Amino acid sequence: MGWGMINKLPLEGIRIADFGQIIAVPYTAQMLAWLGAEVVLIETEQRLTTRIWPPFAEAEPGVNRSGGFNMVNSSKMSCTLNLGDPKGVELAKQIISVSDVVVENYSSGAMERMGLGYQEVRSLRPDVIYLSLGAFGRTGPMKGLVGFHSVINLFSGLASVTGHKGSHPRIMGGLFPDAFSGCYCVLALLEALYHRSHTGEGQHIEVAMTEALATLLPEAIMEYTLDGTEPERVGNRHKEKAPHNVFRCQGEENWVAISVENDSQFLALAQASGNPGWSDDPRFATPEARLKHQDELEPLVQQWTAGLQVQEVVEKLQNAEVLAGPVLDSGQVLSDPHMIERGFVQSPDHPEVGPRPLGAFPWAVDGGQPGIARGAPLFGEHNVKVLQELLQVTEDEFARLVANGVIS
Amino acid sequence: MFQEGALSGLKVVELTDRISGQVAGSFCARLLGDAGANVIKVESPEGDPYRRSGPYPGGVPDPDWSGLFLYLNSNKRGVSLDIESPGGRAFFLDLVAAADFLVLGHNSSEVERLGLRREKLSEANPRLIITTITPFGLTGPNSGYLGDDLIAIAAGGMAYATPGIPDSVGDPDLEPPLRSNTNMAGYLAGVQGAMASVAALLSRKIQGTGCEIDLSMQEAVAAVMPFELAHASYHEPKPRKPEIFGVMPNAYLPCKDGYVVVMAVMEAHWRNLMDLADNPDWAELEVFSSGVERARNWDALEPLLLEWTMAHTGAEIAQLAQDRGIPCFPAYTVGQMVDSAHVTERGFMVDIQGPGGQKFQLPGYPVRLERTPWQLFRPAPKLGEHTSEVLGEWLGYTAEQLLNFGVGHDK
Repeated sequence: MGWGMINKLPLEGIRIADFGQIIAVPYTAQMLAWLGAEVVLIETEQRLTTRIWPPFAEAEPGVNRSGGFNMVNSSKMSCTLNLGDPKGVELAKQIISVSDVVVENYSSGAMERMGLGYQEVRSLRPDVIYLSLGAFGRTGPMKGLVGFHSVINLFSGLASVTGHKGSHPRIMGGLFPDAFSGCYCVLALLEALYHRSHTGEGQHIEVAMTEALATLLPEAIMEYTLDGTEPERVGNRHKEKAPHNVFRCQGEENWVAISVENDSQFLALAQASGNPGWSDDPRFATPEARLKHQDELEPLVQQWTAGLQVQEVVEKLQNAEVLAGPVLDSGQVLSDPHMIERGFVQSPDHPEVGPRPLGAFPWAVDGGQPGIARGAPLFGEHNVKVLQELLQVTEDEFARLVANGVIS
Repeated sequence: MFQEGALSGLKVVELTDRISGQVAGSFCARLLGDAGANVIKVESPEGDPYRRSGPYPGGVPDPDWSGLFLYLNSNKRGVSLDIESPGGRAFFLDLVAAADFLVLGHNSSEVERLGLRREKLSEANPRLIITTITPFGLTGPNSGYLGDDLIAIAAGGMAYATPGIPDSVGDPDLEPPLRSNTNMAGYLAGVQGAMASVAALLSRKIQGTGCEIDLSMQEAVAAVMPFELAHASYHEPKPRKPEIFGVMPNAYLPCKDGYVVVMAVMEAHWRNLMDLADNPDWAELEVFSSGVERARNWDALEPLLLEWTMAHTGAEIAQLAQDRGIPCFPAYTVGQMVDSAHVTERGFMVDIQGPGGQKFQLPGYPVRLERTPWQLFRPAPKLGEHTSEVLGEWLGYTAEQLLNFGVGHDK
């Protein structure tokens, strides 16, 4: 049983004002929502992003139908304020003054221009924890640059270590920089909440996505700074392991990943594939020899896998204690019986698009998911709850704000 | 003088091994140490395998100066114990009994063999938070599978999704799924392990008891792909073919000296981009009149844009475009990133001097916490550097007692 089943969630009682844009900060706040925080997403109709971007449910556009939005904003409340209007900003300030945490990733300076920068916010809420994430961060000569995940991939050097041998730098899939930076943000916010829990102190937190990605490259950075050596692109190969690659299996677009580090694993691969002779071949007799003769070894492995289903190869090799796994696409990830059984795949219901599978926590706690993923909010779904119930805006005033376009 | 970190006063024991969760477990424990926790890395007498993986300053192998080891193990003290021997195991379990966190990076079968599940440890230490990182998790039909970084990247969906938007596969028959040449799954699972650990700490404050965190590297990878998963969940999995995003241009194109991303899907950006390209006649064509039209007619537009990008360097294109707020950027080398004024001015890299005076850098910390800032409290430990110090401090043994157990003075 997870915490959610029997106990209070770790962030119960914590309220978060979420000014997140696109993926990185929405992803951050979503994880905190799953952990029990009450997250108020403050949206502005004039600046919608993922809500009006594909993919849409059944390819039919609509502000409540975007998977790109719904998959990083589940379990939140939506409050739609026009932040271009001083009245809208005033209401946002009132939300902040009853919140523990503010998170934002507008472009550098945007929150300050709206009067919602850290200094102003701290005067409303002295113990606030305020996180700003920028593509390049909030300081330095490039702080004003516009950068989506592709720009982060290219600047950080990650693209330069991604690509096939002799070919050009490639961009990692999955909008990886956003979510990876988001993980660092979650960690920092949890630490700051823990610090606040026994000191009463809030703080400012700043994160640069480019720096988050650079934490993946210690060896390349060390080698470059030692003597100017730039990393080579090596496809799926590894400096110490061979074979270490993906291999085609039966059918189209089906691959299996195989990784062999030592002689006993290689012997097991040779036997499991019905090629016991491989291990006697001097070209493949030692890890060094296999690394040197990868160009000859890989086609032999491929010849064996090509006639088999992915799962057959995985099972034969795992039974022989050789590292192997399927190359899954995102549809296969969501329908994977193993990850479904572990609770990673959750399907929260949604009034407009129905239940849709998403990837929840990559960890279990005492055998269950450590939090709860609920559906994403409809556009403005919680305006009454947030403004009237939480901020005590009267019904008349609420109607006036709607009529004046302060509330969308 | 060091400031207190957010996790100051909390004790962490780390035990990791080769093949599976090594990078993940080591990075997870380091991140807790980065936040000020008192982290003890337990190594076998042979030492952590990454002491032998390099790179080395000066190119000379030295177990105390292996780059990846230095990076993964700063802000820790090192204890050397043979946990396969009864004496070593007893010391290890006593350390665990005194700890707030136990971080494990192993195959699931090894966790069971070593008896490091919660039901075995909670009696001695009910407040212990165990963070176990394994290739496929401790439960589920595939929990027995072995894995490493490649296997996790493949089985978590990332290899299939790479190259990603706006890059694309030219010929799916010739181009297999791709992994980055880094321990990406390890770092991912490491950060998530630290997240899970601190969440459990907040929970412990409420409930009073510890717990067992079961983190799967496969899921660690899948969890950072919400956009790819959304495609599968909402519409259809994206094929590994040239992908049209629905609006264009958002493209990764060759230029005079490399590659560049050109992103001008918004009308204002598109008009600015065409201005930069000296407003060619084709810019006015009806077939390129909106982002959607440009996506529909991308086959015709791509060669026209290529003519422009190939006439300029990546730096020129980025400079021109970013001056007008268009998000374009060239592919940097690692050196271009490290040497950039931006990285230098922000002071991100950490300067280190090797045993022969070699100067080099490692990545710093990407999060700046105002009150509880990241600090390099201490460099990675030499093998067994703090064995008697830690056994004395945590378990109260005197130097004489330790000598009787065969634990000598620290180097």
